[in-house]
Amino acid sequence: MSSECMQPLIRVESVSKYYRHRRILSSGHIVHALNGVSLSVAPRSTLALVGESGSGKSTLALCLACLERPSSGTIWFGGRDIAALDEKQMRAVRPQVQLIFQDPASSLNPRFTALEIVTEPLVLQRRWKGRQTRERGFALLERVGLSAEMASRRAGEFSGGQKQRLAIARALSLEPKILILDEALSALDCSAQARITNLLLELQSSFALTYLFITHDLAMAAHIADEIAVMNRGRIVEQGVPQKLLDSPEHEATRCLVTATPQSIMTSRISGA
Amino acid sequence: MRFILRRLAHAAFLMFGASILTFLFASLAPGDYFDEMRLNTQIAPETILALRAQYQLDRPLPERYLRWIDSVIHGDLGYSFSYNSPVKPLLLVRARNTFFLTLTATLLTWGLALPLGVRSAEYLGRLPDSLISWTMAALLVIPELALALGLLLFAARSRWFPTGEMVSVDFSSLSPVHKLQDLVLHMTLPLLALVLTALPLLVRHVRAAIADVLEAPFMLAARGHGIPRHRLLYRYALPAAANPLISLFGFSIGALLSGSLLVEVVMGWPGLGPLLVEAILSRDLYLVIGGVLLSTLFLVIGNLIADLLLYWADPRIHADLVAK
Amino acid sequence: MNERRQLAKWLIVLGVLHGVIACAGFFAPYDPLEQDREHPYAPPMKLHLTDTQGHFHLRPFFYPFRMREGSLDQYDEDMSRATPLIFFADRSAYRLLGLVPCRLHLFGTGGERVFLVGTDGFGRDQLSRILYGGQVSLLAGLLGAGITLLFGWGIGAAAGYYGGWRDEVLMRLSELFLALPWLYLLLGLRAFLPLAVSPLEAFLLIVIVIGLVGWARPARLIRGVVLSVKERDFVRAARGFGAPDGYLLLRHVLPETSSVLLTQAAILVPQYVLAEMTLSFLGLGVPQPLASWGNLLANLQQYSVLVSYWWMYLPAVAMVPFFLGYFGLSSALQEWATPHK
Repeated sequence: MSSECMQPLIRVESVSKYYRHRRILSSGHIVHALNGVSLSVAPRSTLALVGESGSGKSTLALCLACLERPSSGTIWFGGRDIAALDEKQMRAVRPQVQLIFQDPASSLNPRFTALEIVTEPLVLQRRWKGRQTRERGFALLERVGLSAEMASRRAGEFSGGQKQRLAIARALSLEPKILILDEALSALDCSAQARITNLLLELQSSFALTYLFITHDLAMAAHIADEIAVMNRGRIVEQGVPQKLLDSPEHEATRCLVTATPQSIMTSRISGA
Repeated sequence: MRFILRRLAHAAFLMFGASILTFLFASLAPGDYFDEMRLNTQIAPETILALRAQYQLDRPLPERYLRWIDSVIHGDLGYSFSYNSPVKPLLLVRARNTFFLTLTATLLTWGLALPLGVRSAEYLGRLPDSLISWTMAALLVIPELALALGLLLFAARSRWFPTGEMVSVDFSSLSPVHKLQDLVLHMTLPLLALVLTALPLLVRHVRAAIADVLEAPFMLAARGHGIPRHRLLYRYALPAAANPLISLFGFSIGALLSGSLLVEVVMGWPGLGPLLVEAILSRDLYLVIGGVLLSTLFLVIGNLIADLLLYWADPRIHADLVAK
Repeated sequence: MNERRQLAKWLIVLGVLHGVIACAGFFAPYDPLEQDREHPYAPPMKLHLTDTQGHFHLRPFFYPFRMREGSLDQYDEDMSRATPLIFFADRSAYRLLGLVPCRLHLFGTGGERVFLVGTDGFGRDQLSRILYGGQVSLLAGLLGAGITLLFGWGIGAAAGYYGGWRDEVLMRLSELFLALPWLYLLLGLRAFLPLAVSPLEAFLLIVIVIGLVGWARPARLIRGVVLSVKERDFVRAARGFGAPDGYLLLRHVLPETSSVLLTQAAILVPQYVLAEMTLSFLGLGVPQPLASWGNLLANLQQYSVLVSYWWMYLPAVAMVPFFLGYFGLSSALQEWATPHK
């Protein structure tokens, strides 16, 4: 359900990001991770960012989540340019843009218990008192489909799907406006993918969330997104509704992705919530 | 070639840094050699001041260091107050003895560790391995001091071996055969102390390295080709384990050097160790610095040789550097 | 689970050993500084259960030594004065664990003195001195290891976490310290500190010197762990929740380094006890009359002592069960931290 007439929740304008590999006594070489990327995401919608590995998707995600600073360009969010904020201001913005990583095994500290993981952001932000934090933690766990008995188990003992639920619960604890899912389903098996996708769609409507869904799988993007942007070598090369991209792709990169997609997915596309 | 130059530069940097460090520590010391004299009321304070000036102990630290570096470059390592002689000849004689002992100990230790480690790895988990491992473990828990003192005690009570010195007093008058015998007798116990202390850890590491290699697919393939056991072990497995073993070699040199200090002092071998201890007890500044740096030099050179051996032995390092 | 049990076993063994030394006052029959000028260099006494008439006594007894006429260190047993041991005797005062005043000893004697491990030149009971000496040596090892690990952790964590030029500088410095032969560095450092100081000062001095010399290897190991943890996503995520550096280090990084710290501790403590023994043996450590395993052995540097009084060697053996315990502990720790494939 995209609404083009509404103000975009987040707007990226000509963002670029360079990395320089430095070694002592030798000049480094420059890596262009992002090269003038522009896009916008409407509130309460899902934008899918699709591209091959190395196209810059994860770098963009990190920039949006204020975990990396773009070399140039602006990112408009909540009325200001979050690319130009200092560290302290960034800390205030970060809770609103949450990132879900691809590998739940490394994004959750395996020694922490489920409750500790879910309440860590709350503890860091010092929003409530101890007991209230615990209660909120239990509520979050339940919301993502994990029972209260699991609260004291260590994260390392959970399955992949359960871990991602935990990661989502953690992200939700700070009541973010936008969730960036960086290949969040890629490491899961098919049935877990389906279940988590359903959970995500359900959460989107209950919490009025906006999703930026990053993936290399066009089929998955088509299934869940209102709009798809294709990235290639640090640039957005094509953008539009899934049906249009699948039926008549314009750019070379999009065409590559389409031909890699199984025929059946294209003909029976189900639109989300 | 660039690799060699880089390692040489690295070694030079280490020596330079070590010299600064040692000089710094030495100069932070409250008091010096002449403090003892100050307590003696018969010696006038002016004399002490004059002596201090003569040995330039009253100059600021950086100046002393630069002067010292300058003299080192010209081959002069300073002056020993207690021996009343230049430091260099004192050090060189003792260094020769230490070098002799440590080199022989290194060769012996490796000469024993390699076959023992290989045998252990070959029969992993079975009787020969258990026997060797347990013996090594038993040796490992005996502290070096206890071992050296124990051997000394044995020498003193049994009178089979001399206790101390490198050669007997009448060495120069002995026939060549007897000279050799004399040297060997004097050397046996210190060697034993050094070897027995260094052996356990080394055998352990060799065993681990060879055991790792023996599990590799190429070894299984070689066995499948019917290559005889001896060739397998020494011409296939050992060279493949060269990388960790050569690094270990560099490390073992350092360990043996540190160990030799104690053994020399306890068993009376006239090497750098006892000289250093004496110099320390009498606060003989330049002798101490010279001794510490000389032993550091041994260590750095030993590691350098190990690095070069590694470079020569492991073709992967060649390839790595070429690719860069 | 088996690893846990192994670990527990070695911890218990070490605990008992350390406990005995910690309660040296209880296990030692005499004060370690107490001299007995009538019995210099007395050999170890035998305990008997049957007397000269062939009667069996439940309580062990001994024959006190009398110095032989005309000799300075030969003794005969005085068979006429069979003296029994008194268990749980109330004898000289001491402070248990340095705090609680106590008078209870495991065993003691009446007027005559029993020397189970012989005496030294001043007639001081060696058993008591070995027990009390253990306190000094073990404490030096434990404190020194603590200092090294504190230092090494701080430097390694800073280098690994902050990276950049700080990392380069610290790593070059660590290479330097590793390049110097350890024992030579130790001696060199000790040399340039005041030599004639009080026993307490000497003790503190050598603890600090031993602790400072060995920071390089633990620092590098810790740095390795920190580098790998730093890149983990959960650290990134926590930063995304607004976590400051201090929180990240304490809550996420430090627990990962705990296994390295423990294994290093088990390796370093015996090494450092040995370092103290070496320093004291060479006269650079804890001075007499305070006892430490090192300076007890220093007597052996005199040839006459070495040849004639073999029991003066026994303090060297006292270290062996501790070495064994720490060795077993470090093996068990390594098994526990990195399970076999």
